[in-house]
Amino acid sequence: MNLDQWLTKRTFHHSAFWDRRWLAEEKARQGLTISLCLPAYNEEKTIGKEIVVYKSELHDRYGVVDEIAVIDSGSTDRTREIAASFGAQVYLAAEHLPQYEVHRGKGENLWKALYLLRGDIIVYVDADITNTHPRFVYGLLGPLIQDPEVHYVKAFYDRPLASSQGIRPTGGGRVTEILIRPLFSLFYPELTGIIQPLSGEYAGRRSILEQIPFPVGYGVETAMLIDIYGQLGLNGFAQTDLDVRVHRNQETPALGRMAFGVLRTFFARLTRDQKAQLHQELPTIMRQFTVAEGDFDHVEHVIEEVERPPMIEIPEYRQKYHPTPEPMVEV
Amino acid sequence: MIQTVVNTKADIRELPAALLPLREQILADLTMLAQIPAPTGQEEQRVRYVLDRFVEAGLPEVGPDEQGNAVGLLPGARGARTIMLVAHLDTIYPRTVNHNVTVEPDRVIGPGVGDNALGAAAISIIPLCLAHLGIQLESHLGLLGTVRSLGRSNHEGLRFFLDHPPRPIDCGIVVEGLQLGRANYLSIGKIRGDIVCDVCPEKLRSDGSQNALVVLNQVINRILSIAIPTRPYTKIRLAKMHAGLSYDSEPDHAELGFEVVSHSDEMIEQIRRSMNDAVAEMAAQHGVDAKLDCFFRRETGGIAFSHPLVKAILAVMAQLDIEPDLGRGPSELPELIGRRIPAVTLGISWGEKNQENEPDYVLVDPILTGLAQLLGVILEIDRGACDEP
Repeated sequence: MNLDQWLTKRTFHHSAFWDRRWLAEEKARQGLTISLCLPAYNEEKTIGKEIVVYKSELHDRYGVVDEIAVIDSGSTDRTREIAASFGAQVYLAAEHLPQYEVHRGKGENLWKALYLLRGDIIVYVDADITNTHPRFVYGLLGPLIQDPEVHYVKAFYDRPLASSQGIRPTGGGRVTEILIRPLFSLFYPELTGIIQPLSGEYAGRRSILEQIPFPVGYGVETAMLIDIYGQLGLNGFAQTDLDVRVHRNQETPALGRMAFGVLRTFFARLTRDQKAQLHQELPTIMRQFTVAEGDFDHVEHVIEEVERPPMIEIPEYRQKYHPTPEPMVEV
Repeated sequence: MIQTVVNTKADIRELPAALLPLREQILADLTMLAQIPAPTGQEEQRVRYVLDRFVEAGLPEVGPDEQGNAVGLLPGARGARTIMLVAHLDTIYPRTVNHNVTVEPDRVIGPGVGDNALGAAAISIIPLCLAHLGIQLESHLGLLGTVRSLGRSNHEGLRFFLDHPPRPIDCGIVVEGLQLGRANYLSIGKIRGDIVCDVCPEKLRSDGSQNALVVLNQVINRILSIAIPTRPYTKIRLAKMHAGLSYDSEPDHAELGFEVVSHSDEMIEQIRRSMNDAVAEMAAQHGVDAKLDCFFRRETGGIAFSHPLVKAILAVMAQLDIEPDLGRGPSELPELIGRRIPAVTLGISWGEKNQENEPDYVLVDPILTGLAQLLGVILEIDRGACDEP
């Protein structure tokens, strides 16, 4: 399947999967369990709404999703309390697998979700969506339930920005357009078919997610795409149009730091895949300037982009999900 | 076989706990409905949402009527009577307002959550509640989400439905999100209108410059001098005003929005005439055009306190420890009562709405009690509480 064929065959609209009764029946027929993971850090404004809507529409009414969990990075607001009050499982990431050091970041939460949640399919949805709707989940699940060849589904959408003045119609996607898309065009041309490679919503089969490393920070989305592509090719992917996703705007300096983290992840894969050679180790310091009352302040941000190994390499995980049968003892 | 699990007073008291497994589904309906903008005349998406819920609940008769109202019917075992639940779907908030909703453990916050996303959520989820409790009604239960209810539309959607009912309606319950405990069986009389003042542009005036704002101010002073009795309860609300564009030009046009409410239709008419006189006097001035436009009128009315429906409601509220707030209130009630359909207005939770600097919100915990109350009243009507004259 070439890129054009893939775009035609594997690009969906969420409305194709609106029939949650069918999704639940087909899921049961295939013997699948499905987990919904919301990685969170200080999301008290939106987490309650997300839990209520997803629990009602995907768990209570239809049983499409078997468990809903919030993996929290150590929120200092009421995120965990609110999520628990509406019936979500709540995990503080640092309390699990602590023997492997503690890191903080979205990728860390996604990685630990593989250990903590039991689903054959795991749906990851950011906890900061303001226009919460069940399509953010069933739109991603649909291709996986419909087609066994699909192992990973990525979201794309319009991205209006929420501001104090209401909703602005366009925005976002800046890092994608000026960084990711040029890099993919240069080094992984087939991945340019992914319309929004940095979207925070995706779903995958445990069988592939456990095989890939997880950067704990900004690079996790980019790494997932490249590493799953390395194992399955474009054929393992699908993508779904989720219409409009309203989110908070990020300031340009924050996007700069994000781009730095993504670049470190990207270069690590370029060298690993022998697509480029670096003659020195990349620095971990991102330098930015801030302007205050006419003065320039030089700010240094340490962005290490630690990577977690594939979960399948963690003994505790193997014991939980792939226990080795006890050897037969001859008497 | 008819299975009715709620037969005793003790059962009514247990309803809120029995509905607890549906809590997230109720809150999800409230959230998703509130996030759909639905200014009057643009309720299509909310209508679609409510109709989808009716279909999902397995109602055999579901669809929009010619006016665009969301209509569903849950057939009763015998269908000897039809109970109608009514909730308006439109809101005062324009599309440009951010309809984002926040859900906290104790409250749901967002524009229009109480008026009337919660009422719409209640009628959307009632079939599911009945199924969850294993209740099959003897009576038909009609469910109606109305369009074009607010402002100048003056309950246009409801009036159309009541003028073209698919079957006779025996009893009505108007469902409002706020406030739990209200049991309005009398409707307050009300008129709403605009006073519009236009003055000729300066160069055309022979007697110097006029200012529409000043003219309107004179009208307001006249209105404020109208004598208002303590009894019957009567109030003039000067509610909104619009005039002028910039600091350096006096306005040629000014508008005042008002409403008059009273327990007496006579008093309302008397005040309307006085206001009309004040406006007419201003309009008599050279270069001034002033008009009073009363676009909304609702006469007082209701059912008697002794009506068995009122007694049944009080009994249900007592069992659920709800403090009743009886009497008159604004709602669609007169449309039903005016067509000889006994009806009341009930609220589902507590909260605030339309505050200047505070967001709208509804409290989460009372919602299950409010729904239990609604179910309790439906069951009482199903047993004949509304049948007596």
